[in-house]
Amino acid sequence: MNEPLNITRRYFLGRGAGVSLGAMALSQLLQRVSAAPSTAVPAGLPHFAAKARHVIFLTQSGGPSQLELYDYKPQLEKWAGIEIPDSVRQGQRVTTMTSSQKQLLMPGRTKFERCGRSGATIGEWLPHLRGVADDLCFIKSMHSDQINHAPAMTKMLTGHQIPGRPSMGAWASYGLGSENKNLPEYLVLISKMQRPSDQPLYDHYWGSGFLPSRFQGVKLRNSRDPVLYLRDPDGLPRELRRGMLDGLGELNQMRLAETGDPEIATRIRQYEMAYRMQTSVPELTDMSGEAESTFELYGPDSRRAGSYAANCIQARRLVERGVRFIQLFHPDWDHHSRLPSWCVARCRDTDQPTAGLIRDLKQRGLLDQTLVIWGGEFGRSPVGQGKWDSIEAGRDHHPRCFTMWMAGGGVKAGLTYGATDDFSFSVAENPVHVHDLHATALHLLGMDHERLTYRHQGLDFRLTGVEPSRVVKELIA
Amino acid sequence: MTACLFIRRTALVGLCVSASLAARAADAPSFNRDVLPILSDNCFACHGPDAKQAKGGLRLDLRDSAMKPAKSGETAIVPGKPAASALVKRIETKDADQLMPPADSHKQLTSVQKDVLKQWITTGAKYEAHWAFVPPVKAPPPAVAGATHPIDRFILARLAQEKLKPSPEAAKHTLIRRVSYDLTGLPPTTADLDAFLADRSPDALEKVVARLLKSDHFGERMAMWWLDAARYADTDGYQADATRSNWPWRDWVVAAFNANMKFDQFTREQFAGDLLPNATPEQRLATCFHRNHMTNGEGGRDPEESRVDYVIDRVNTVGTVWLGLTLNCVQCHAHKYDPLPHADFYRLAAFFNSIDEDGKAGGGAKPYLSYQSPLASRSVTEAQALVDERKPREAEARKAAETPFADWLAAQAKAVAPGFSAWHPLRASELESIEGTRLVQEADAIVQASGPNPNHEDYRVAGPVKLTRVTGLKLEVLPHASHTGGGLSRGKSGEFILTDIKVQVRRRGSSQIRDVLVTGAVADAAADRKGAREYGDIKGVLDDDPRNGWTTKGLDPKQPRTAVFALAEPLLLDADEELIFELRHRSTLGDANIGRFRVSVTDQAGDAIRSVGPVPLEQLAAAKLTDLTALDTKLRAKLFNQFLADHAPYQVEKAALDRANRQLGEVKAAAQKLNVMVLAERKEPRTTHILLRGVWDKHGEKVERGVPAAVAPWPAAADKTRLGLANWLTARDNPLTARVVVNNLWAMLFGNGLVRTPEDFGLQGERPTHPELLDWLAVDFMESGWDVKHILQVMATSATYRQSSVASPALLARDPENRLLARAPRFRLPAWMLRDGALRSSGLMNAALGGPPVRPHQPEGVWEEIFMGRFKYEPSEGAAQYRRSLYAFWRRSIAPTFLFDSAQRRVCEVRTPRTNTPLQALTLLNDETFLEASRALAAGILRAAIKPEDRLAEIYRRVVARRPSAKEAAVLQREFDRALALYRTKPDEATKLLAGAQFRIDSKLNAAELAAYTVVASLALNLDEAITHE
Repeated sequence: MNEPLNITRRYFLGRGAGVSLGAMALSQLLQRVSAAPSTAVPAGLPHFAAKARHVIFLTQSGGPSQLELYDYKPQLEKWAGIEIPDSVRQGQRVTTMTSSQKQLLMPGRTKFERCGRSGATIGEWLPHLRGVADDLCFIKSMHSDQINHAPAMTKMLTGHQIPGRPSMGAWASYGLGSENKNLPEYLVLISKMQRPSDQPLYDHYWGSGFLPSRFQGVKLRNSRDPVLYLRDPDGLPRELRRGMLDGLGELNQMRLAETGDPEIATRIRQYEMAYRMQTSVPELTDMSGEAESTFELYGPDSRRAGSYAANCIQARRLVERGVRFIQLFHPDWDHHSRLPSWCVARCRDTDQPTAGLIRDLKQRGLLDQTLVIWGGEFGRSPVGQGKWDSIEAGRDHHPRCFTMWMAGGGVKAGLTYGATDDFSFSVAENPVHVHDLHATALHLLGMDHERLTYRHQGLDFRLTGVEPSRVVKELIA
Repeated sequence: MTACLFIRRTALVGLCVSASLAARAADAPSFNRDVLPILSDNCFACHGPDAKQAKGGLRLDLRDSAMKPAKSGETAIVPGKPAASALVKRIETKDADQLMPPADSHKQLTSVQKDVLKQWITTGAKYEAHWAFVPPVKAPPPAVAGATHPIDRFILARLAQEKLKPSPEAAKHTLIRRVSYDLTGLPPTTADLDAFLADRSPDALEKVVARLLKSDHFGERMAMWWLDAARYADTDGYQADATRSNWPWRDWVVAAFNANMKFDQFTREQFAGDLLPNATPEQRLATCFHRNHMTNGEGGRDPEESRVDYVIDRVNTVGTVWLGLTLNCVQCHAHKYDPLPHADFYRLAAFFNSIDEDGKAGGGAKPYLSYQSPLASRSVTEAQALVDERKPREAEARKAAETPFADWLAAQAKAVAPGFSAWHPLRASELESIEGTRLVQEADAIVQASGPNPNHEDYRVAGPVKLTRVTGLKLEVLPHASHTGGGLSRGKSGEFILTDIKVQVRRRGSSQIRDVLVTGAVADAAADRKGAREYGDIKGVLDDDPRNGWTTKGLDPKQPRTAVFALAEPLLLDADEELIFELRHRSTLGDANIGRFRVSVTDQAGDAIRSVGPVPLEQLAAAKLTDLTALDTKLRAKLFNQFLADHAPYQVEKAALDRANRQLGEVKAAAQKLNVMVLAERKEPRTTHILLRGVWDKHGEKVERGVPAAVAPWPAAADKTRLGLANWLTARDNPLTARVVVNNLWAMLFGNGLVRTPEDFGLQGERPTHPELLDWLAVDFMESGWDVKHILQVMATSATYRQSSVASPALLARDPENRLLARAPRFRLPAWMLRDGALRSSGLMNAALGGPPVRPHQPEGVWEEIFMGRFKYEPSEGAAQYRRSLYAFWRRSIAPTFLFDSAQRRVCEVRTPRTNTPLQALTLLNDETFLEASRALAAGILRAAIKPEDRLAEIYRRVVARRPSAKEAAVLQREFDRALALYRTKPDEATKLLAGAQFRIDSKLNAAELAAYTVVASLALNLDEAITHE
């Protein structure tokens, strides 16, 4: 999308209520430009009252196993080590990692418990999450159509398996605008891991696609420069940077007067925003002011900057600062082998902080306005990969059914929606496609997924694509 | 409705419809200009070319269908009789069930649009073929008084219609800056600028254009356009994102543009260089164009699915780059708007479906051409020069270290009494286990486990460290009688498995913990292991992966075992900081927690932390020497190495030499024969099927090679090969290719195409702002023999191109998007030109042509964090750092960070966005390249024979090609004075600012002054004028 005019002015020009352009003098035009908030949203939005104002998407990259975490299938015990019946498999393709082996069923490797008043089933590797079960809304019947990581994650986050579409966060910030003029609308935090991950986290996962690039997610890096190029060079003290930007602003003002190009007014504003970010972002990432009780709530790992746990605290801080869409990524859920030890390790990283985040948002009165989403790009197969009854066994990718959960932001707490068959192989009732999840999330944010469109290459694109998808009203409180 | 849609309507209503309809209300609306966009936008999704979707059997794209009774019995369009036309009834009805477009489409016709449709039906409902499918005709340019240039005559005639006047010619400095950037991607040098300003001849600009078109930088500039379109990158993309060596193809592109290879030949060679008679290696190299797509080697992926993806990608690319059609829509179904049936996609795909490839990525992406680039040896010479420069410096530093070493050795010899130990046991202030094991530290700092023995367990030892620094840790695992069989653990087997360790620092009273990076691990014994994910090797404890780790299983379980860990860099601890050592036992097997252990720390560098056993200083102590000359030479060498490891002046030179050597190794490898991915046919052609819904393994009916009938016919005699396809694309009767190409070239000079959707000339694309001009250019291009330089020369010498970009308030209000070209466009330059421009203005630019990719500065760690350390980015050093951005290594999963708003190089792109964000401001302010350019610009000004009072103006001039006005100069002076005052009082700050990655301060220059000029230079490089095409 070419943007010869910046978006604000575009709206202003396009929708300035009845203002005749021809009659407007440049000075007025420019005045209107600088007066207009830099965060205008497209006209007509929200489409209806929003239940949620923020989203925290706890993305678990790699495909966490629903069979160990949430989808309790006691019946599977009887089938242990038996080849999956064709009637169940229905010709489902597997990846070439397991296509040559026998498809022998492997029951869940953990003990389950019914939790809270709602009786949601949660596996033993998530003891803390069990404590907040009544705040969660489980979707057991998620399904996708992509079986490999990158296309499936791209689908989950952008609605299409081929890179290049705007991510859900970009759509949300496009539609919602910002509440904070010192921070971007959409921020991304990635857990710092020691282990090289097999699944890189591509920046198109949080890209703006054909939406203007100001809507792209900004990655908060875990380094001296939390945002790329944020830090001034050594030897350029703050007061000098201020002076230099004043001089730059003055010279740009002169150029604006000379050329009449309103883009210069925007540029002046963007340099000022850059200056403000240089203060607001480090202030944001400095967690020394957090109470001791916070670290206790999110667990010991939260003291370690860059950990998933620390990022969970950060997510709550970002909600407090009005950031619209916060996306965490925790890698390494791709447990093809040694599932018992490997999956436990990822549960340990995430269990207490995730539960802590829910409790923390709740105790601060933020959960109602914040939609929390937990999930990965697909689930895992009930068939064992490797020798099914050994400690070596893992599970292959499985897009036909998997579990995600949401919390806060207008969803029904304590609900378990949808179900899989006795094998957790297919959805048995109330299927929820990735697009349905998108439609529902947008709905909670006050947006109609059919009307939130953007024209590109002559077509009106939307997050949910061209196939019919539905808002899952049953999930909404 | 969207922003984009709305502005288009504004423009259409404001400029086209109001001018055409309002002024000529009695005329029939033009089908193509006025009616088709309305139908296409609002009706075709259900009543358009996708026959399967045609609701009620009605298609409004076909005259016959629209004018015969539909399934309902009604007739949509009765020419001349709006009242009898169901279409009119249905767009005007108040009945929500009857209304078209229906409410759930979220589309609504405006009253102007309804009037257009009615008027069109009233005046006979004439259909026309879509403009882009009708071959262009070279209409004689309109006669306009005082204008001779064809382009100007078209533009001025239109302006006259709109009662607008063109803008005056731009100032000369603006012109040369504009045309230099447009044709070479670089600003003029000051010499070029001065020569042009001095040249009063009427054809001064023509001469500049001719010079620029001859410059080698022309090919580089054009290549940047072409590489975006070709989705060229130096890696595969996707999960593995392996490096490929296709860069010789990039140099082929540069050379082709510089040699002005005609565009039809350029097309032929890239489609079918391998099929040409007596194909040269370069012609086969050219076919890499169609192999530049991403390749996916993800484990578990079916290679056939990937192969099909590649074929699809090629068709889409042909659609965008040559035909300007969104063929990607036809991958899954018939086009909703354009007359392209589903089968068209696969008929085209059939041309690319028999490449001798198998869908693999990485090193298996055949077919390859073995090719040795003639342009690589220059890079080797350059890299060798850097090594030669650094080698003596390293040797000198080593020699210089001898003296301090002797002093150090003497001091150490005195200090280390016999019994000296380099290892200091960590005394715990806190000792904990996660799962309940009881841990007790004994007098000798040994920790003994007792009580519960859980399956998995983490131990954490925290304690103060007396040393001023820590370089490594030692873990001793000890047997005990209380353990199973007197072994190393209380687990069933008496064996231990340590899966991971962590080293952290905690400040007393603070909530924060920081991780300390451990890079080395060695042990005196380890079990044999089979694979990377087996227990055994000590290195497994460093990767956070519980599936590997350290065990001595199978060896004598009663033997004590030792492991030594090296920190990435010495850790300096404050008095109130404590060290934490964590031992994790999280193995799949479980029940193997260490039973007894001791943790120690050391401050020794070198061998001490890289091997198990007595450290060199302990050996020295044990030797009890009174006379150091009697020191064993081997031990002396070890001690010298330890000293060097810690001796900063030496380490700086050593690291610099190591980097230069790595760079040399890399370019030497690149100078060998390389595998370049190219096209080659397999012996047995594959059968091509329509893919149902575009899914790779859902085969529909079989199709033969063929082209979209709606575009142009296939010549009966032509072979159905890729060569035939290239010839068809560049045939005189192909209505699209020439238009699409000249439109892209126009956009290069004018910021936007004459068709503002360069990727879509179909019904949903925009109509050209100047259709006759576009056609004139397209035909002229073909008549010139597809001569790219010719057509650029024509464009760049028009008065339209030379106009000033200053917009009067009235003009800005009248034509905010500059569709009429009553002024030159004003737009931000692409990020790659900004970088290249900064390098050129500052004198840093290395103008070499071609060769292996280089790595410009980008912030530390951006590759590492995406790939969790699998790829490391080491910026190029020496002259290689200052190469043009075209040569920057392009990793598909993370494009060069300094290139904002650039194509992503994942799929073909011919239009990149142009936005204005704070992140861009931060890049231009703080990117190391721009800082180096600022320093170099400042130093250049100080070294040159320029009067002090002219220096600021000269910095300004080198960047924006003009001297500042008095008002501007005053601001520069003020900022300079402010900076100078600061740096005079704080000279340390000046030193810091000037300490760039490669920049060496010229000792003759005054540091405070240089720093102050650097600040002004950075300011200048950030000026709106500096980053804008004016």
